Amino acid sequence: MKKWLKILIIIAVIGIIAIIGVLKYINKPNKDIEKAKAEYTLNADVLYKEYTLNKAKADSLYNGKVIEITGNVSKIETPSDTMVVAVFTQKQDTSQIKTDDLLGDLNAEGGLRCTMLPNHSEAAKKLTPEIPVKIKGLCNGMAGTDLIIEKCSIVK
Amino acid sequence: MKTLFKIIIVLLMLSSNVFAQKYITKNGKIDFYSDAPMEKIEAKNNQVKAALDAATGDIVFQVLITSFEFPKALMQEHFNENYMESPKFPNSTFKGKIINLKDINFTKNGKYNATIEGDLTIHGVTKKVKQSGTIEVKDGKVITYCKFNILVKDYGINIPNAVAGKIAETVQITVDVALDPKK
Repeated sequence: MKKWLKILIIIAVIGIIAIIGVLKYINKPNKDIEKAKAEYTLNADVLYKEYTLNKAKADSLYNGKVIEITGNVSKIETPSDTMVVAVFTQKQDTSQIKTDDLLGDLNAEGGLRCTMLPNHSEAAKKLTPEIPVKIKGLCNGMAGTDLIIEKCSIVK
Repeated sequence: MKTLFKIIIVLLMLSSNVFAQKYITKNGKIDFYSDAPMEKIEAKNNQVKAALDAATGDIVFQVLITSFEFPKALMQEHFNENYMESPKFPNSTFKGKIINLKDINFTKNGKYNATIEGDLTIHGVTKKVKQSGTIEVKDGKVITYCKFNILVKDYGINIPNAVAGKIAETVQITVDVALDPKK
């Protein structure tokens, strides 16, 4: 085979590999949170306290990370047929919450809000405050007085 | 005397239902859609917090930016880190008022046209906005629906020329938030 042809073939192969690599990187699907390994395992009350005491520090540690939360759920909300939220209610400092505006109303009750993956919804509906649970999910940070955890699954 | 007492109780209950009812949710939906020549981008957020006071027409929305979910991981990463700078500006809010409150009967099922005016804060920039939408009263629930466009540069969001073909200058926002009576 002629030398220039060999070089051309090598360049073409490298080019195809590079294009596949770039396309794979661009079209990378979202992380499978259920299968991902948790970076931290914390008690719900402890995690919430960390966020309320030093939000910036907690954000840098946990935001965007897969975490496992242990504790007892306070209630289960079912806003739609396909959506189930496990809530670990946390006591609020009422002196810090304005009661004269609607944002105050929104944030008068707060805590960890864990939106369950659809395949864990039915199991989540059976959770009760009496039984301790471990839930894994993606920590998305604070919205007012709520710590938002998404794509949650029941570990045990 | 007993009858008078009963009447007062009924009147108090009625007045609290009709005039002082607040509605609240922490699971509202907001979607956005960007239709650029090279790419269409859709993202959904099902964690929107909202509250409405039927007596005054006051309405607020609080949206956690990191809760927007994209079909591709890279889109989500760029959205949060490069454009919305969500570590710096984690929440977007809208604080406003329904200005045609008298046209809406919160005690009667039905779909009502509503005009809302207020301050929309995105990416740390607050702008006055006025939008039309609908408010549906359905078996005690209040469903707010509104579709509107925003210019990303109005909110100080810079799109580099290199990706201008992939991200539209105008983004369509769809608000579909169902609120429950506050207990």
